[in-house]
Amino acid sequence: MLKVAIVGCGKIADAHASQIQRIKGCEIVGVCDREPLMARQLHERFPVKRYFSDLTELLSDARPDVVHITTPPESHFDIARFCLEWGCHVYVEKPFTLHAEEAQILVALANEKGLKLTVGHDDQFSNVTRRMRTLVHSGYLGGVPVHMESYYCYDLGEPGYARALLGDKQHWVRRLPGGLLHNIISHGIARIAEFLTTDSPQVIAYGFVSPLLKRMDEREIVDELRVIICEEERTTAYFTFSSQMRPSIHQFRIYGQKNGLILDQDQETLIKLRGGRFKSYLEKFIPPVSFAEQYLGNLMKNARTFLARDFHMDSGKKYLIESFYRSITHGTPVPIQYREILLTARIMDTIFAQLNTQRSQVQAQGQMPSHAALTH
Amino acid sequence: MGQMERDAFIIGPDDPILVTGATGFIGSRLVESLLDRGFRNVRCFARLSSKVARVEAAGRRYAGARVEMITGNLLSREDCAAATKDVAVIFHLAAGRGEKSFPDAFMNSVVTTRNLLEASLRHTCLRRFVSISSFAVYTNTQKPRWRLLDESCPVEKRPELRGDAYCFAKVKQDEIVTEYGKRFGIPYVIVRPGYVYGPGNEGLTGRVGIGTFGVFLHLGGSNPIPVTYVDNCAEAIVLAGLKKGVDGEVFNAVDDDLPSSRRFLRLYKRNVRRFRSIYLPHVVSYAFCLLWEKYSIWSEGQLPPVFNRLSWHAYWKKTRYSNEKLKARLGWAPKVPMAEGFRRYFQSCRERERDA
Repeated sequence: MLKVAIVGCGKIADAHASQIQRIKGCEIVGVCDREPLMARQLHERFPVKRYFSDLTELLSDARPDVVHITTPPESHFDIARFCLEWGCHVYVEKPFTLHAEEAQILVALANEKGLKLTVGHDDQFSNVTRRMRTLVHSGYLGGVPVHMESYYCYDLGEPGYARALLGDKQHWVRRLPGGLLHNIISHGIARIAEFLTTDSPQVIAYGFVSPLLKRMDEREIVDELRVIICEEERTTAYFTFSSQMRPSIHQFRIYGQKNGLILDQDQETLIKLRGGRFKSYLEKFIPPVSFAEQYLGNLMKNARTFLARDFHMDSGKKYLIESFYRSITHGTPVPIQYREILLTARIMDTIFAQLNTQRSQVQAQGQMPSHAALTH
Repeated sequence: MGQMERDAFIIGPDDPILVTGATGFIGSRLVESLLDRGFRNVRCFARLSSKVARVEAAGRRYAGARVEMITGNLLSREDCAAATKDVAVIFHLAAGRGEKSFPDAFMNSVVTTRNLLEASLRHTCLRRFVSISSFAVYTNTQKPRWRLLDESCPVEKRPELRGDAYCFAKVKQDEIVTEYGKRFGIPYVIVRPGYVYGPGNEGLTGRVGIGTFGVFLHLGGSNPIPVTYVDNCAEAIVLAGLKKGVDGEVFNAVDDDLPSSRRFLRLYKRNVRRFRSIYLPHVVSYAFCLLWEKYSIWSEGQLPPVFNRLSWHAYWKKTRYSNEKLKARLGWAPKVPMAEGFRRYFQSCRERERDA
């Protein structure tokens, strides 16, 4: 029986506990939060053996094999390192760390200790993403990707919610190097990183504060981001984060030399884009029929998965956790390659560095530069 | 404030009073009610992002009144220490309302309440802590239909099974207030309002029905809806905080002449907007909740357990409500009659619809 612990008993810890309890062959031996009441409430609602408010006590008394770290991002590195040093495998919620250097240190430490690490990029393991990955690996694109587009939007919702977040100048999100973006975009960046082959692609980022936030007198939180990523003039990618565009989508488009694919995370649909063209007017009539057929196929797949009780909102998280545990118990490869974790962290570092440079320029000039995009 | 009234209260007009959630729906009325009664030293605690204009304006209307605005976060022990310094009565209205997440609701209700209680222990000048709970905490499971729900009724023993983060947080908040009362001798009163309506809260209570599935399902039928107009509720809370001899008591706050769910819905449609609704008889809504609950368990949460038998008993079972204790012990009477309350509420709903 694999012994599991959760450190950090906030909102995301619920999602972890819910999925862990669905996995056979493991048990939650302890949960821990600096605030004992928070640890106790998680313990009361889930089958958890004990609760702690001290990390050392959790590790020494409950002796977990795996620790899930679900604390705010600024503490990920210290807690993960501490747990690795205690000899525990570690699952870190996204974003993995605040800086790529910290990610590098954790990976090196895990390798040195013979332990496993993973990050909470669970969207990468949803039913539809796994279908897409299978197609890509089967050669459907016709080689390495030529271009990718990753959309990861975030609806700030009603102004009331935005006011609560934006009104608190001490909010922990503001302390992250990338602010709001830092807490959200890693899912969308990881989708691109998975299919890049070099370790240091060129990154060009442009970010700004949306008119909505400006109207609310917010000047610091960047909630609109556009990024171009290119590697060796072979594969390119666009990343879009927006709090304002509608629909607020979570999509990934990947194009090869032969064909392309469109994945919609919200609707769990995967659409094949045929590379060839039909002759003359047939191009106007046959593809729409093909798309209709594909959407119907997606509907049937989703319905079948639902009826089979495998269509949970967090099904990707369960798959990721299960795969990670299997890598520990059976020695299979980790579900997310360390290269991908590190590359995601490096791309994010570069984006935030460029945004900071832009901000400094704006502050120095007292106005927005006409072309703020900079190459790092 | 007359001499008789003054004698009936535990504090005088110059004693400092803290109101958390002071800029909120009930809090802003409560501050006005305190000022109206002649209390001149009111400290208002609100989140940084709150709109403070209404409360500040209220303070300016009363000559000689000192309304102090403090902004901060009740999750910060330092903020709690500053807010509770020297106060004689705390009206704790701030709560994690509306969160769907259990940890968020718990943190913003229970941890914040504990922080306030701990801070007030340090200052040792508190004469009463008034905690605002909710009707949501009561269980109705073992009682026959049409039974009377009053303060003697049991609360949910396993609130986590209700699938309602707000209910869970409020049960736990009540527990921690009671625990601190017993362990440290903090004098407290718990007020459990029914559904508080009025300008500023234009929603239709789930006790009437739900619009989750695209069409409004009317579930309440002939059930009385335990509503209280916001000003009446604020008045009940004020009295619970001030009256002598009620420490350790629980008070339910509902108005007189409660409307049935059917009447409330009919009035809403007539006065605000027309929409299609389908009445689900109680046997059908019970079966629906039962099936949803079973499916949720069988599917390991593929559908979240938001509808279940516990919630059906709490919200849609035929039940009667009483405000006898509120009247007898606090001398409360609804200032705003039901007809006037509805008139103001529907007008506000219409304005909101127009602006949407």
